[in-house]
Amino acid sequence: MKGPAPQLAIGVGTVALGAALGLGAIGISSDAGYSGVGPNFLPWVVGGVLLACGVLLVREALTGGYRNMEEPSGAASGHWPGFAWVSAGILLNAMLITTIGFILSCALCFVLAVRGFKSSQDRLDLSLRALAVDTAIGFAIAAPVYWMFSQLLAINLPGLTSTGWI
Amino acid sequence: MDLWNQLLQGFATAGTPVNLLWALLGCTIGTAVGVLPGIGPATAVAMLLPITTKVDATASMIFFAGIYYGAMYGGSTTSILLNTPGESGSMVTAMEGNRMAKNGRAGAALATAAIGSFVAGTIATVLVTLFAPLVAAYAVRLGPPEYFLLMVLAFTTVSAVLGKSTLRGFAALGVGLALGLIGIDQITGQARYTGGVPELMDGIEVVLIAVGLFAVGEALYMVLYEGKTVETQNRMSKVHMTAAEWKRSWPAWLRATAIGFPFGTIPAGGSEIPTFLSYAAEKKLSKHKKEFGTTGAIEGVAGPEAANNAAITATLIPLLTLGIPTSNTTAILLGAFQNYGINPGPQLFDKNAALVWALIASLYIGNVMLLVLNLPLVGMWVKLLKIPKPHLYAGILIFATVGVYGMRQSAFDLVLLYGIGLLGVIMRRFDFPTAPVVVGMILGPLAEAQMRNALSIGEGRWTIFLQRPGSLALLIVVIAVLLLPYLVKAFRRKT
Repeated sequence: MKGPAPQLAIGVGTVALGAALGLGAIGISSDAGYSGVGPNFLPWVVGGVLLACGVLLVREALTGGYRNMEEPSGAASGHWPGFAWVSAGILLNAMLITTIGFILSCALCFVLAVRGFKSSQDRLDLSLRALAVDTAIGFAIAAPVYWMFSQLLAINLPGLTSTGWI
Repeated sequence: MDLWNQLLQGFATAGTPVNLLWALLGCTIGTAVGVLPGIGPATAVAMLLPITTKVDATASMIFFAGIYYGAMYGGSTTSILLNTPGESGSMVTAMEGNRMAKNGRAGAALATAAIGSFVAGTIATVLVTLFAPLVAAYAVRLGPPEYFLLMVLAFTTVSAVLGKSTLRGFAALGVGLALGLIGIDQITGQARYTGGVPELMDGIEVVLIAVGLFAVGEALYMVLYEGKTVETQNRMSKVHMTAAEWKRSWPAWLRATAIGFPFGTIPAGGSEIPTFLSYAAEKKLSKHKKEFGTTGAIEGVAGPEAANNAAITATLIPLLTLGIPTSNTTAILLGAFQNYGINPGPQLFDKNAALVWALIASLYIGNVMLLVLNLPLVGMWVKLLKIPKPHLYAGILIFATVGVYGMRQSAFDLVLLYGIGLLGVIMRRFDFPTAPVVVGMILGPLAEAQMRNALSIGEGRWTIFLQRPGSLALLIVVIAVLLLPYLVKAFRRKT
């Protein structure tokens, strides 16, 4: 992710966001009451600011890149397989949490994420032993958290059963 | 003596066994998140915001404040022992502290950091005790126009002064303000940018944004770019300072407190600037200039660490008396107050006096707790650094889920969380500051309400901002803050 292309994309994205805010602002009432500005005023301003920032970002990207950039830390290019593992963990968690419950869903997310982080360190271990260990650790973190929230704080987290224990 | 009585009342509230336990728990969690890479005080407080639905306001504010300054103590341990700072405010500590540790003086560096944090934190708490009520008494006289411009000043400094690029700062602020717009308009009750999605009617939770940007964003950044970054850990030595080291440390602590405190009080928050200033001052004044950048100078650790703690304690003044957050963590603390229906501001000292004084008293107690947690028990925290990175970051994802799901019980939010995490990766990679997003999102709706109230007072005329001396002065300050860097640049070019 270097060179002008991603920077240009971010600038264009900012322009698009500003334009979207402006389009949305058309549908907001301008009923001002006593104050002279209505609920649509700030949306217009923020849309305008983002649009202007976007245009300036595009200009910077095209004329030698963003100014005063701090060199980003870490590798020059992304490790996408690891990213895929972690993304799968987070998104599966979002999809499954209400059906299989907090503990199972989070343990699954944990196991997938550990695989992703390890693969980014070139230490990906797909053995059953590692799977068992990570599953156990995932449970050991998720279960007490779940019990603490559901039993002590009475905050509803979804469970596989309605016992409040799993 | 009224002040004295109120403070004693505060100690009575904060000193109940339950509240002491909350303080201890907060300080412990705070130190842990300070030590651990990948999670900071803003994220930790955000993840724990769901407890505001069950725990009473005083206890949870004591708890959150403990996390807030506990993280500053813990951050120094990481930056001295590892080559990566745990918190952004500890970046400067890392420069000298790391060198000291490499030369076998890790113990002395840890000691001066912890004791310096205690000294500065305590002095700053005394100053908060004395000055916060005065500021609040003065702030009662401020009207909507002044408030609005104070908030604009906070926006400007957070986005233009703190980052490397004014443009990227304002782009980030715009994103934050846009996020704050989503939901029901406070004054007219009209829905904005909800797209008919019922989940969006109540707006987007700040927990979601903070946890997404900091925790999920950090985890995704880690897996993408930092898998192969190798960390080296310095060897521990006995936590002890010699008489000579004491003698070199204490003037640095005091000077740093004097530098850090004022910076925390003005809406130009963040602890980066005062720590850098303190470092520069110590380097200039030191009789041991040769040690800077070579074997590590103890003043270079003592000063910045103390400045850091003085500044973060002082940020409570604008937060409590004006309701203006100047950093990520104070923005989320403001969110916590809002969850209780409490609006920090000058009236807070009247309406919620018991809570405020208990909170201030807990700062004194917490500083003592943290000194104990961080000096004799430092070995325990060092063990945390041994947790393998994959398991640490995967564990953080579980806590992120609890924080976000626990707040609204919505799986939709977990998908949004991932999206905000991606935004966090892009922002970090392309050096966009994140504080403007969080501050803009929290403060945006408040600023909008003040602006519209101000215009109502002026019967719709914008000149209201020029007619009042207070607001005119603030307006000039805002313009000065924006133009100053350019004027300095132009001046330098001429000479």
